[in-house]
Amino acid sequence: MTATQIDLLQSAGSASQANLSISAERTEVNAIVARGIEMIYQSGAERFRALKNIDLDVKRGDIQLLMGPSGSGKTTLLSILAGILTPTAGSVSLLGEEIFKLSGSKLAHFRLQNIGFIFQGFNLFPALTAIENVEVALNLKGIRKGAARQQALGLLDQVGLSQQAKRHPQDLSGGQKQRVAIARALAGNPRLIMADEPTAALDSHNGHAVIELLRNLAKEKGRTVLIVTHDPRIIDVADSVAYLEDGVLKAGAHR
Amino acid sequence: MASIARKNLFEDIPRFIVAQAGIVFAVSLVTIQVGILKGFTRSTALLIDQSSADLWVASKEMVHLELTSPIAAEKVVQAQKVPGVERAEALMIRSSVWRSDSGLITPVRIFGFDPDSRLFAGWAVSQGKLSAAKQPFSVLVDRSSLKNLGQTQLGEQGKIGTLPARIVGLSQDTQSIVSSIFIFTSLENANAYATAGLNTSVSCTRQTKGDLTCTNNFENAPLDGVAAPLTTPRSLSISDPISYVLVRAKAGQDLQQLKQRLEAALPNTRVYTQAEIADQTRVYWSDRTGVGFILSLGATVGFVVGMVIVGQILYSSVTDHVREFGTLKAMGASNWVIYSVILEQAMWMALLGYIPSMAFCLGLGAWTQTAKGIMILITPATAGGVFMLTVVMCVGSALFAVQKVTRVDPAIVFKA
Ligand SMILES: Nc1ncnc2c1ncn2[C@@H]1O[C@H](COP(=O)(O)OP(=O)(O)O)[C@@H](O)[C@H]1O
Ligand SMILES: [Mg+2]
Repeated sequence: MTATQIDLLQSAGSASQANLSISAERTEVNAIVARGIEMIYQSGAERFRALKNIDLDVKRGDIQLLMGPSGSGKTTLLSILAGILTPTAGSVSLLGEEIFKLSGSKLAHFRLQNIGFIFQGFNLFPALTAIENVEVALNLKGIRKGAARQQALGLLDQVGLSQQAKRHPQDLSGGQKQRVAIARALAGNPRLIMADEPTAALDSHNGHAVIELLRNLAKEKGRTVLIVTHDPRIIDVADSVAYLEDGVLKAGAHR
Repeated sequence: MASIARKNLFEDIPRFIVAQAGIVFAVSLVTIQVGILKGFTRSTALLIDQSSADLWVASKEMVHLELTSPIAAEKVVQAQKVPGVERAEALMIRSSVWRSDSGLITPVRIFGFDPDSRLFAGWAVSQGKLSAAKQPFSVLVDRSSLKNLGQTQLGEQGKIGTLPARIVGLSQDTQSIVSSIFIFTSLENANAYATAGLNTSVSCTRQTKGDLTCTNNFENAPLDGVAAPLTTPRSLSISDPISYVLVRAKAGQDLQQLKQRLEAALPNTRVYTQAEIADQTRVYWSDRTGVGFILSLGATVGFVVGMVIVGQILYSSVTDHVREFGTLKAMGASNWVIYSVILEQAMWMALLGYIPSMAFCLGLGAWTQTAKGIMILITPATAGGVFMLTVVMCVGSALFAVQKVTRVDPAIVFKA
C-alpha cells in the first residue's frame, strides 16, 4: 500500500465522520424536517393538488405556527407531518426518525410515544369524565390504574382543572374542554405537540388562556409545538410562522 | 383501558334499553324455537324413553310409535318362549273419541297395557294410582290434558265411544305435543274401548261351488242408540290385535342377538331396541312433518333479527363515536385497542341480553308446561348453545361495525 493510498483512506474516513456529525447535528436542531411534500387528493376523476412541493424545518423547542386561509392545505400538512396521512410524495422526519419508512404499527407506536394532539373540536369522549379522558391516553401509553389516575389528576391540575375532574365534557365550557384536551395531549410527556386550530372554537378570553397554557407548557419542558391556526393573536407567542396559500408554503420570519 | 365500552353503552340509557329489548327479543325467539323443537321431538318419544322395555316387537310396517299395523296377541306368548326373554307384555294403541258430559268431543289415543307392570308405564303418576286402571272402564290421563278433554279433576267421568271412562289417575310428563290426547288403561279396557260402538254381524253367502264365504261386518252403533248393557271387559284372547310386544331381556343378554332370535321366532315382525324406536319416532316427527324445519327456520330468523339489531346498534354507536375512535388512532392506539373496545361493547350487549332472555324463557317454559302441556325444553346444552350463538351474533355485528374505524380519516378527526 502506498502512502497516497493511505492518505486517501484517511481522508475518506474523516469525510464520513463529518457526514455523521452533520446528520447528528441536524436531528439535534430540528424536531421536524419535511422535504418535497406533495399531496394530491383524488376524488373520482378529479385530482386536486392540495400541497405543492413543501419543505419545512421546525427547530426543537420552538412554537411553530402554520397560518393561511381556509382551504389552503393547513390540516392536510399537519396530518402528514403527524404521520396520520401519507403524502403522495416527499419525506418527513420527526426527532430524527423517517416516519413514512416505518410500518403502520411502528408509526402508530411512534405517535403514541412522541406526539400529543389537540383538535379544534376537542374530540373528547362524551361518555367519559374529564379525568377518564386523560386516563385513556395514559392507559394507551401503558400507564395503568392507580398510577394513571394519579398522573391524570396531576395533568388536570397543570391545566387548572383539578376541580372539574369528575365532570363530563358536556358540563364543561369550550375553554375547559380544550384544557382537558391539552391535559390529554400532555399525557405521557410527548416531545411534540400538534394542534389544529386549537382556539378557533373558543371566545377571545378562553382562546387567550389556551394560548398561554400552550406556551408555558411548551417552553417549560422544551417541547416542540406545531400550531395550525388562523388566529392572529397566537403570533405573539410563536417562534416562527409559516404561511400556506393554495398549497404553497411561504416561510415567514423566524423571530 | 378506562371503561370506554361500558360508558359508551350506558351513555344513552333509552337507546340502550331499546337495544337490549331487541336483543332479548331475538335471543328469546331463538331459545323458544330451539326449546320447542327439543321439547317437541322429546315429547314425541316420551313414552318410549320412559318405558323400561329393552326391545319392542312391532309389525314390519311400523312407521312410528302411533302409526303401525296390528299384530296378534299370541305373539306375546311366542315371544315369552324365546330364550333370553325374561318378560313379554302386550301394548295396544287405538284411536277413539272422548266425549265429556258437556258434549265436547276430542280425539284420543288409547294405550292399553298391564298396569301391574312397569315395563311400559315408567312415568310418574301425580294423582291417583296406576293400579286403579285395572278396574273396569277406568283410565289415567296426562294432567296437562284434563282441560282439553273438557274435564277438571280426578274422579270425573266421560265416555270413550259409547262406553264410560272414569278418570282414576293423572300421569305426568307423558303427552306428545303432536298427538291426540293420550288415555292410559288396562289391556282389557283398551280392547273394550277399541271395539265400543261397533255392532258386529257376520253375513255368509254360499258360493256356486258350495264354499261358504263369510264377512265380518263392523258397524257404528247409532250415537243415540240404547247403550249396550255394561259388562265387564273380557280378557284378551290370542287372536285379538295388539300393537307391540314389549320385551325385557334376561340380565346379560346381547340385545342384538336377542333381536334376531325374536325376529326369527315371530314372522312378519321387526324388533327395535328402545333407542331405535325412539329415534325412528323422533326423526319421523321432526323431519317427515316439516315441523323441525319450520322451528329451525324460526330460530334462524331470531338469529338474523338479533344480528341485525345488534349490528345496527353497534354500528350507530361506532358512527356516533367515530371521531373519538379516530382520535385514539391518531394518538397512536393500535387497531386492536379500538376493536377491543367495540368487542367489549358487543360482549356486554350479549351478556345483558342473554340473562334476561334466559330468565324469561325458563319462566315461559314453566308456564307452557303446566298450563298448555307444551314443553319448551331448555337443557344446559341448549342454554349454552344459545349463549354461544348470542356471543357469535354480537361479535359478528361488532366485526361489521369495526369497518367504520379501520382507517382514520383526518377529515373526521380534524373536523371543526
Ligand atoms: N379527503 C379529501 N379529499 C379531497 N379533497 C380534500 C380532502 N381533504 C381536504 N381536501 C381539500 O384540500 C384542500 C385543503 O384542505 P385542508 O387541508 O383541510 O385546508 P385547511 O385546513 O387549510 O382549511 C381543500 O381544498 C380541501 O377541499
Ligand atoms: Mg383545517
